[in-house]
Amino acid sequence: MIDIQNVTVQFGGLKAIDSLSVQLTDPVCGLIGPNGAGKTTLVNVLSGFARVRQGCVLIDGESLLEKSPVQRVRWGLRRSFQTEQVVEDLTVWDNVLALLEQVEPPRRQQAEKVGWVLEYTGLEAVANALGAHINLFQRRKLELAKALVGAPRVLLLDEPGAGINEQEAAELRTLILGVHTLCGAQVLLIDHDVELIKSTCSQTLVLDFGRLLAVGPTLDVLNAPQVRSAYLGT
Amino acid sequence: MTELPPLKADLALRLRSVRRLRLRSLWQMLLVLFALALLLPLCANGYWIKTLVSAAAIATAVSGSALLYGQLGLVSLCQYALVGVGGWTALRLSHGLHWPFELCVLAAGIAASATGMIAGLPALRMKGLYLALVTLMMAGGYQVLISAMGFPDGGEGWLGRAQGTDRVLMARPALAESDGGYLTYAMLWLAAILGLVEWHKRSKPGRAWALIRRGEAAANAAGVDVLRYQTWAFGLAGFCAGVGGAILAGGVGQLDGRAFGASESVMLFALSVVGGVYHWLGVLLAGLLLRAVPALLTDYGVNGYLATMFFGASLVHALTTAQRGIAGQWLDGIAALSHRLRGSRVTPGVRHD
Repeated sequence: MIDIQNVTVQFGGLKAIDSLSVQLTDPVCGLIGPNGAGKTTLVNVLSGFARVRQGCVLIDGESLLEKSPVQRVRWGLRRSFQTEQVVEDLTVWDNVLALLEQVEPPRRQQAEKVGWVLEYTGLEAVANALGAHINLFQRRKLELAKALVGAPRVLLLDEPGAGINEQEAAELRTLILGVHTLCGAQVLLIDHDVELIKSTCSQTLVLDFGRLLAVGPTLDVLNAPQVRSAYLGT
Repeated sequence: MTELPPLKADLALRLRSVRRLRLRSLWQMLLVLFALALLLPLCANGYWIKTLVSAAAIATAVSGSALLYGQLGLVSLCQYALVGVGGWTALRLSHGLHWPFELCVLAAGIAASATGMIAGLPALRMKGLYLALVTLMMAGGYQVLISAMGFPDGGEGWLGRAQGTDRVLMARPALAESDGGYLTYAMLWLAAILGLVEWHKRSKPGRAWALIRRGEAAANAAGVDVLRYQTWAFGLAGFCAGVGGAILAGGVGQLDGRAFGASESVMLFALSVVGGVYHWLGVLLAGLLLRAVPALLTDYGVNGYLATMFFGASLVHALTTAQRGIAGQWLDGIAALSHRLRGSRVTPGVRHD
């Protein structure tokens, strides 16, 4: 469970997140909001890339904010970025291995663990291909494979489906839905694609101007008048 | 997590084949260097043997500069100053404590490695032009220092400076007292250093450096301790330079402080780019360009300083059209030729898959 308590993030005179308190309990949660709502800032807070002015964050009862970004990764927090971060001159295998060997002691079933996530994400066939030689969907799946390797506890996926087509998005949805069953990790999915959120997330948080607009079961939240007015424009 | 099933047979097979290819390329590099180490002393005259010793020593230092730029995208313009640090340490230990040559080389590498780590500290906060300027200032500082101190030449005191005719040369290793033997020895050190660098590039540090080069945020998100791995890279690059400095000192017997100007570090970096920073062949080419091209021009009665103009033109060429340097162009050429030769063996109308 991600427990955010009274978190405020301020950049100069701008409050990017303003006294946010929310509990995210479901295996796959969504985070939506219009541009500038503070979605990526919240992900940055959770992953240690942005500092809070006040408040605290507990994950499964453990305080997160005292940990450095690297310590959070070793603890089990994973994130992907809006722009995929595949290393082009490493193979797909080495891209995953590069993360695994930073978070776990070497050698212990290392190859099996990398092979396992590549099989789950359907990247086995391109395991030896260079990052530069795989297509956008494979790159997106590689980002998911990197997030899954090495006993993750929480996955923060920032627009994991950006730029892919309908058919590919459906496959990605299936993969994201299977994460909790696969490894027990909780997923926080940030995306503009309401269909993706609707079909994958059972609980959704909506931010607007850094404040909590709504939180609850996804369908209820998406139908709430204030959400339709602020985010969906209807 | 419970025990995972073993890798699928076809994936395991493909992985083994990639590992075999990587290992084969490492052995190819070592074989080429060993062959050069054995053949060059037999082919070259006295003048060229000395030039090639110097080129091998400089190539050893270039391997560090190429590592920083090729693996991390960091421009360090104090690599030649680190050659000087290594040279000074080796000379001082050899004259003052009479350590065996190999120990002097290792100590030179360690001293330059420590200095390199200090030089790399600004890289934690700055990149690109700013890092280049800061490291260039360090090279300038070293130029002033070494001009005032000079290199040890067998004298007394902490600086080890001798007066007049009391100057002595650094003792070479017993196995390589002749110039030809010393060229083989220098090439073997170059092979060892390139082997060390290549091993780093293909293992955990190399993958961490690749993530840092992709972006600091990507590296942090992958759990890479950026401070540790950048410092490691600067330390390794410094070690390469220090070993190169000791080999250079052993080749000439003594070093001249006037040869360690800041501009030499700029030239070393520029020719690393011209040679090619992504492949060991580029390192060899950079060493040859720095030492053999001026010697070649002198051989033909042309002023060796003209080489600087050629180098400038080559750098513009490399930066605009050949970012993998001369080595990249040669390797592409070899690959195209081999492809064409393989293609010529294909009988028309017959499938070869």
